[in-house]
Amino acid sequence: MLEKEKLRKADVYSGIIIFLFGAWVVWQASKMPMKDSWGGVQNVWFVSPALFPLFVGAMIMLLGLLLVRTALKTIGLKAFGDTLQWLFSKNLLQFLNTMSVLRFYAIAVLFLSLVYLYIPRIDFFLSAVLFLSVFILMFYFDEAELLKKLFFFYLAGTVFFIIYFAVGIDGLLGSVLPFAKDILTLGFILVYCLYAWKLIRGNPELRKKFRTGLIVAVVAPFVIGVIFKYFLLVPMPAEGMVVALLDAIWYFEF
Amino acid sequence: MMILERIGTYFQMVFHLAADPLNILILLSSVMMGIMFGAMPGLTSTLGVALLTALTYGMDTPTAMLCLLSIYVGGTYGGSYASILINIPGTAASAATALDGYPLACKGEGGRAIGLTTTASAIGTIISMLFLVSISPLISFFALQFTSFEFFLLAFFGILISGTLTSPDLVIKGWIAGFLGLFLACVGRDQLQFFPRYTFGIAELDSGVEVVPVLIGAFGIPQIIQVLKDRFQIGETQKFQRILPEFGTIVRNIPRIIRSALIGVGIGSVPGIGEDIAAWVSYGTAKNTSKHPERFGKGEITAVLSTEVANNACVGGAMIPLLNLGIPGSPPAAMLLGALMLHGVTPGPMITFEHPTFIMEVAAILLLASLSMWVVGMLLAKQVVKVLRIPVQLFMPIIGILCIIGSYSLGLNIWNLYLMLPVGIISYFLIEMGYPIAPLVIGVILGPMADENLRRALMVSQGSFLPVFTRPVSLILFLVIVWTVVSQFPAYRNFKNKLMDKVFRRKSCEADFDIDGPEEG
Repeated sequence: MLEKEKLRKADVYSGIIIFLFGAWVVWQASKMPMKDSWGGVQNVWFVSPALFPLFVGAMIMLLGLLLVRTALKTIGLKAFGDTLQWLFSKNLLQFLNTMSVLRFYAIAVLFLSLVYLYIPRIDFFLSAVLFLSVFILMFYFDEAELLKKLFFFYLAGTVFFIIYFAVGIDGLLGSVLPFAKDILTLGFILVYCLYAWKLIRGNPELRKKFRTGLIVAVVAPFVIGVIFKYFLLVPMPAEGMVVALLDAIWYFEF
Repeated sequence: MMILERIGTYFQMVFHLAADPLNILILLSSVMMGIMFGAMPGLTSTLGVALLTALTYGMDTPTAMLCLLSIYVGGTYGGSYASILINIPGTAASAATALDGYPLACKGEGGRAIGLTTTASAIGTIISMLFLVSISPLISFFALQFTSFEFFLLAFFGILISGTLTSPDLVIKGWIAGFLGLFLACVGRDQLQFFPRYTFGIAELDSGVEVVPVLIGAFGIPQIIQVLKDRFQIGETQKFQRILPEFGTIVRNIPRIIRSALIGVGIGSVPGIGEDIAAWVSYGTAKNTSKHPERFGKGEITAVLSTEVANNACVGGAMIPLLNLGIPGSPPAAMLLGALMLHGVTPGPMITFEHPTFIMEVAAILLLASLSMWVVGMLLAKQVVKVLRIPVQLFMPIIGILCIIGSYSLGLNIWNLYLMLPVGIISYFLIEMGYPIAPLVIGVILGPMADENLRRALMVSQGSFLPVFTRPVSLILFLVIVWTVVSQFPAYRNFKNKLMDKVFRRKSCEADFDIDGPEEG
């Protein structure tokens, strides 16, 4: 949590956002049937589907306003002006470049790419190994410079995959080569690990961390995935090369 | 006669559950897993219950409850390991334990402290279980008299009180979080007319926002971001000797144990607030009533005892409103509610009719879980604390994968993942800005109940709010809600202070007059 003064400054903005959000909730609710007929049912205000959202939206608006008022009462309008100035100054860029914020970007990008890009399209086991190897190696080395380099390397790979799927190369390549996207992901994992190894090979302590991290990154998805897939019979979000191989082993389909 | 019959049924259930070796295995492994989740700083019992709910999907209801309640009990207790040995609370519930537990470990009495917390936690859970069994029929009886107005007001009260008590900063923020949760509950087709609300034509949103992905996102993702962003490091673990059950200390402190258990059960049964608040209140009470308050914070054994009894007594306390009213008493209980619904059990006043033995079954599981926790704590604590040596950078990414597969496997819907992640990231920012997350989750859970009952009540009264004032329970709930809101405003506090000043000044004047009177006479 932020310090108290910073918190009050942030409260002004979060209060405004919450107020606007409440207004949007009310606006959307006002489009719902209040006295009109819906599905053959003539509405009256007290059974309307809009009643509860209107109440909730109005309360969010009110509480947002109260929050802004409380925050402004504590810090005063001058501090609010200062924050506004800070938001349009170089200091904001400096803040966005700090290591702590970069760590946040790294975690957010990793999760966003996993959930919206890899998990729906690429074999679960490969997606999970990619996620874990990148995540663990990035943070386990505990060095700012390494984190930066590894993050940008991963980002470049992810951009490549976005283009690969958006342009439709996957469809073309997939018709020629089975499991094309899985093979590409496996290649990405290997290249990423090689790059990480190249960065740390001179440091024995980091080499040890590299080995441990890699073992965890490979073993954990297989333990978790096998429990869910074969014991709890949960079909994976995307099943590809590895699942086909595991199926063959599990059901003796050789 | 009826009481004897209930006791008979209860013990029959205990023996029935304990007779199956598979149940014992599940019990011990779940407690162990719970202790690990509780012990590892950054992981909480709520997250443990949330992630393991996915694993219980294929189990029958009693086995799933056995698994989840054991994790809950184990997780609440497990937090004390990290508190005592590394001065970092494993869970918020054990933060108060660190104040005196760590100084004890520094003095070389870590084994004694862990032994005491193990026994105290088991006793706390058992006492709360007794309350669950004895109070439930009474609450159920009253709850059966509730109509839609009462249920609406109860749900509303749950969100408000949870927002009031869990907010780390301004109370308004707790309420905002609660109302944001209520908004999320509005998404989807409404229960009475099936009108699509805030769905934007997306078919996946028609069935509404699923509780489990929201819970996993709200509790799991911010935790991962916070721990790794702030470069959280686990400190050096204090060494400890043999763990002893400390029965002598327990017997000498029976009144303190009963008081702490009552605090735990009482606070646990208030909707939305959980073990952490119970532990702090119990710590404060123990300090205020102690003959040696100066020893607190320096390794006082009664302080450790009070906090651990209270936080584990919260478990049974949280079950009371959960099972009888369908309102979760604490964040892990909110997760249990989600799990129960997945297994086709809808907690509420009708539970005694739909599943007559269910509350007894839960009580039997709580007894077995507390006994297993004691056994695991006594025998395997030295092995379990080894998890404290695992670097957070290794296990947090694995928790991330568990969050993802856990959210997906409930309903086998990838849409749950698309929902879980934004909820998690927004929750992270809300936490950073001092908003509590528990009211948001309670809002999502109680939203449908509040919405449906408000409209149903108004339908019966033809749009009139008069029954709120004519029905005694409604009126009491309404007044409590008004007081909860009004008491947070400075104007009310100023008015109260002025009033108190006036009353006391007048009283002291009268007293002066009385004293002076006879002298003059």
